[in-house]
Amino acid sequence: MAEHRDVFIVCNNFEELGGLQRWVHHIGRLFAERGHRVHLIGITHAERAHDYGSDLPYATTVLYERRPAAKWQPRGALDRLNVPAQVRMARRRAGMRRAAARLSEIFRTGGPGSVVIAAQVWAMEWVALADTRGMTVIGMSHESYAATRSSSRYERVKTYFSGVDSFLVLTQEDADAWAAAGMSAAGAMPNPLHVHPERISSLDEQVVVRLGRMSFEKGQDLLLEAWAKVAPRHPGWRLRLYGSGPDEAEIRALAGELGLTGSVEFPGPTDDLETALTGGSIFALSSREEGFPMSILEAMAYGLPTVAFDCAPGVRELITHDVDGLIVHPGNTVKFAASLERLMNDAGLRRSFGAAARASVTRFAPHTVVDQWERLFTLLER
Amino acid sequence: MPLLSSPDVTVVVIVYNDAERLPNAVRSVLEQSLRGVEVVIVDDASTDSSAQVAEGFARAHPDRVRAIRLPENSGGCGRPRNVGIGHARGSYVMFLDSDDTLDRHACRNMVAAAEETGADLVSGRCVRVYSDTGDERSWYPSLYRRRAVLDDVLENPTLLYDTLSTNKCYRRDFLERANLSFVEGLHYEDLLFSAQAYVSARRIAIIPHRVYNWFVVQRGPNLSITNRRNELRGFADRLTIHRAIDEVFRKHDAVELKRRKDAKFLNHDLVLYLRELRSRDADYRREFLDLARAYLAELGEEAFDECKPLPAIGGLMVLHGDYDAALAAADYLPKKGVRPTLSTDLVERDGRVYWCDRHLDGERERRILDVTDLGVHSAPFNTFKLGGRVTEVSRRGSDLHVAGDAVNPLGRIGSKDLTGTLEFRDRQRKGRAFRVQARVGTDGRRIHWEATFPGERTIRPIGLLDQTFGLWLVLSAEGQNITVRLTSDVVDYEQAAIAVRPRLTRLAGDHMEFYVPESGELALRTVATGWPGRVTLPLLRKAATNGAGARVWGTLSRKERDLLTGLKSRKTKIAVYNSVLRRLPVRKGTVVFESHLGAQYSDNPKYIYEELARRGGGHKVIWSYKSSPKGFPKKAELVKRGSWAYYRALARAEYWVDNQGFPAGLIKPSGTTYIQTWHGSAFKQMGFDEPQVKAATRARHDRMRQMVGRFDHFVIRSEHDRRTLVKGLGVTADLLETGYPRNDPLVTGGDPKQLAALRRRLGLGDDRTVVLYAPTFRADEKGRPVKRFEIPFELERFVRELGRTHVLLIRAHYLSTVVVPPGVSHAVVDVGDVHDVSQLLLLSDVLVTDYSSLMFDYALLDRPIVFYTPDADTYVNQDRGAYFDLAEHAPGPIVTEEHELFATLRDTTREKDVELRRRFVERFGEYDTGTAAKTIVDRFFPGGRRG
Repeated sequence: MAEHRDVFIVCNNFEELGGLQRWVHHIGRLFAERGHRVHLIGITHAERAHDYGSDLPYATTVLYERRPAAKWQPRGALDRLNVPAQVRMARRRAGMRRAAARLSEIFRTGGPGSVVIAAQVWAMEWVALADTRGMTVIGMSHESYAATRSSSRYERVKTYFSGVDSFLVLTQEDADAWAAAGMSAAGAMPNPLHVHPERISSLDEQVVVRLGRMSFEKGQDLLLEAWAKVAPRHPGWRLRLYGSGPDEAEIRALAGELGLTGSVEFPGPTDDLETALTGGSIFALSSREEGFPMSILEAMAYGLPTVAFDCAPGVRELITHDVDGLIVHPGNTVKFAASLERLMNDAGLRRSFGAAARASVTRFAPHTVVDQWERLFTLLER
Repeated sequence: MPLLSSPDVTVVVIVYNDAERLPNAVRSVLEQSLRGVEVVIVDDASTDSSAQVAEGFARAHPDRVRAIRLPENSGGCGRPRNVGIGHARGSYVMFLDSDDTLDRHACRNMVAAAEETGADLVSGRCVRVYSDTGDERSWYPSLYRRRAVLDDVLENPTLLYDTLSTNKCYRRDFLERANLSFVEGLHYEDLLFSAQAYVSARRIAIIPHRVYNWFVVQRGPNLSITNRRNELRGFADRLTIHRAIDEVFRKHDAVELKRRKDAKFLNHDLVLYLRELRSRDADYRREFLDLARAYLAELGEEAFDECKPLPAIGGLMVLHGDYDAALAAADYLPKKGVRPTLSTDLVERDGRVYWCDRHLDGERERRILDVTDLGVHSAPFNTFKLGGRVTEVSRRGSDLHVAGDAVNPLGRIGSKDLTGTLEFRDRQRKGRAFRVQARVGTDGRRIHWEATFPGERTIRPIGLLDQTFGLWLVLSAEGQNITVRLTSDVVDYEQAAIAVRPRLTRLAGDHMEFYVPESGELALRTVATGWPGRVTLPLLRKAATNGAGARVWGTLSRKERDLLTGLKSRKTKIAVYNSVLRRLPVRKGTVVFESHLGAQYSDNPKYIYEELARRGGGHKVIWSYKSSPKGFPKKAELVKRGSWAYYRALARAEYWVDNQGFPAGLIKPSGTTYIQTWHGSAFKQMGFDEPQVKAATRARHDRMRQMVGRFDHFVIRSEHDRRTLVKGLGVTADLLETGYPRNDPLVTGGDPKQLAALRRRLGLGDDRTVVLYAPTFRADEKGRPVKRFEIPFELERFVRELGRTHVLLIRAHYLSTVVVPPGVSHAVVDVGDVHDVSQLLLLSDVLVTDYSSLMFDYALLDRPIVFYTPDADTYVNQDRGAYFDLAEHAPGPIVTEEHELFATLRDTTREKDVELRRRFVERFGEYDTGTAAKTIVDRFFPGGRRG
């Protein structure tokens, strides 16, 4: 029996509707169920708060009532004379010190064996200022190494997470990449499966499903391009694109341009995963960038075979090609179309992939993942 | 305080006379994130205060540190480590040298991996940290990219190359079970220890995490053992160790491992030593090579087949006692990032190229010495250096006389227009050199050169800043520069040879003497022999290497280096271009031409230029070239791509004309018109239609749009182009439906004089059928073009079956090269260096291609086209994707087998092809009517003679 700890999870905000927030509440609940005392700390409030329930089994705190000013750095000598910006920054620094003091106070309530999990690098800037002596500090990045590498977060991750006791990413391949890049505390921790299917897909609906924000990264445009090659040959089939987002209008327009209005549906965003996933028999992930795509995990749990672009190590970790899904070279829409078609044409293949998918996701069953966390807590204390 | 009860790890820290650095090493253990770690410091009877320092740690941390002192010095690392193992109490053991440190998480990562996998041995990343510069380099990074678990070292035999004992963590009961200990009294004890550990471990885990920091001191008097390779004793030790490893492998019956290890000895150990021999004297060389030869004789023959080609040559030549040829092999295998030097006289026998004219009687020797595949017989001279020698240095009156020779690979360099420059290159500053003319000649076998010059007035060092100069010869033949690296057996090393007057006066030295740096070339360095230099130079040097002087000096030289590289960097030039140059007024009538990023004088830009030049309209024309101005028009101004002159020219030109793209990031000046001619219609998907671009980030898409957005006019040769290229690249420019200027001659017949000249140059004198083979490039996994194109049919078979009736011209895509053995040269010619492919199309009777856009152009000639596509499946379906089905539209037969290809070439007449070609041209080339260049010049460059 593992000992009960105080676990402080610090993230940018835990109120927004998003993958990270879903994970924060889920893992918080799982830790609480094991008897750990959990405290969720958001740096700021969300602009639009999502309802994660009122009866939360853990404490929550938000450090800032109003969002702190964005960071500013003078460009060149002249820019240093920008007085308003300098004042803003002085205020920001003072605010950060106050918020960090508050954080230290919260941390002091923890008993021996306390753990701080900084779930995002921005949140770590505050954790780094706070007093964490005697505590185990764990940093996390929820995106793939490649995605971080090509963004400004790379340097920030290297700076702010350099001193943590453990730096966790979502797959072993990403952890290896970080280790090779010099982060010697890098390790892997998968996200737990957070759905408990009551029923699974019959795999008979002639529907291909995609859930996700409508944005360039998620590549709905590429999916439509592939669909345009398939749809004319399969008049009975539909492509259902759930979600909304910045590129929604563009994507709807593209469907029109490609003459797909008859075979593509846009039901909008949904909370009802069960209806969405049991209503289809193939899941399509056409993203350009991903971390550890929870939507694949969900689809697999509902017994759907997946066709996905090989856009992140997370995809390879979840799908075993030709066993429970089909992995396609990034951007190859011809191959993507052919892969969809292969599954559309073969109900037997859908069933065997679907069954394998459900068996495969037991690796990410909540109790397995929480066990892994508890083993890590123990290791970090040795 | 009692000792830590049952620690996880014991780290054995060994020290000998290193009191200064020992605390860092020990602290790196005490500060481990894993708490259950103890330290055993074993002092190898130091004579400095190391023992006291160790005792101090033991007193301060009685629960975690023990200090042990050996009664007498053992002279190596073996004995102290063994003593340390004897005192270890942890479940795991690691070793640390007093001058290195462990990463903070090393122990935890190692122990976690061992517990998770049950491995006997965990190996992590070792990083070499260069003390003077702070640079870091991973040790065998390819081994430490991914986590791995091996049940047998043969699952990844590359591990044999990592022979360190220090970046590893051993189960203590494994050390006991396998009876592992270090050999004592020999250097390189690590090699034997790690070999024994690898072969005995029941499971090995590899982690990509950094565990060990190996601090490397490059210069200075106190070299660590591994850096003191210039000691023969060290080499003898190495061989003894290798013999012991062989014995271990024999005992374990590890035949396969032994073979891999032998290959590693050739690939790695031997090459390492051979490379350095250039800087050793004759006695040393002979002694070294005799030692090596005795050991090589014990290796099995398989080792030579297992290892890479050049190390095999090196080893074989040592074995034969041919030390010149062996050293030459090492010259051709320089460190990463350095161009190879060819310092052997190659010979051609029976159509193959051999390393030297000796030892060619044996079958095995012939196989190993056959270097035809290296392609040196046809490779451009800017891809390698030649090896040369200084054979004489003497005084002629007040002048200095230097003479020598150099290799002339297979007589490729003719004596016509051959000139040379002797260069004394500042070894710290790229591009700075003192130059004197040399007289050069060749007898076809070797190149001979000599130079006479006033030494004191020619070589004018500043002093202190530039103390060493390398000696180089640069040949110039047929408009290209050929670099010759010089070595010498005759000069007096370390004797004042040339009097100099530094600009900082004779306080900073008065002579230069010859020496050989690690990089192997003959070099000169400043010395002082007379007053006042003899006193002042050492003082100045001392001041610059100690205390505050060293800091100031270090900062200054770093700043200077940064400034020099910064000034020359592409980024700087583009920034200056964008912020300053492009705001200069445009010079009317100036046109900058470029073809394939400066690689050639060819394609549409060439034909537009020729039309322009023919009319003599008074335009100022500038051509950009990538590496050599050879083959570019003499009447135009030539600028090197990427030079300041290039950016200046682009900033002020009224017109930009190219077929691919001027440097990304350049903003087109407001008064400039950009005519993008492009370089071929598309079969493969292009631009935004390419899978890898589709999958790319928005930022990359934006950059592409920015590049393409600069085009003002875009030349197309068919409506097919509009549907594919224009859409795929996202072209928004005005479309010029003129057809391709380069295809004008394909319609009109071309210039018979030019064609006749090219025929003569290629030796196409007879009436054999001329087959042009022009495949496109292939890409590797990351989508980069593969440099060497492997011809997918057997050339010898072509010669056997068709050589009497056909001549094969091979034209690789400009991004790749092919190697044609000299033995087939009477029937196979590499025409990669002919700039203008249009001329090749004109003089060939049949085209063989796969997916090259040349198919579209060649169809205009109404001559047979054969499609040879042995890899159609992978190429079209997996790699690129195509705009149309080749089988449906191909204006000629598609074959995938070698015998089919040859059968088709024997008789290319197919009734239906005439009609297919007509339809192909109609569909894919309707605007190519022979008037493209005229139309474009009329519209954009009026003036001069018309018609």
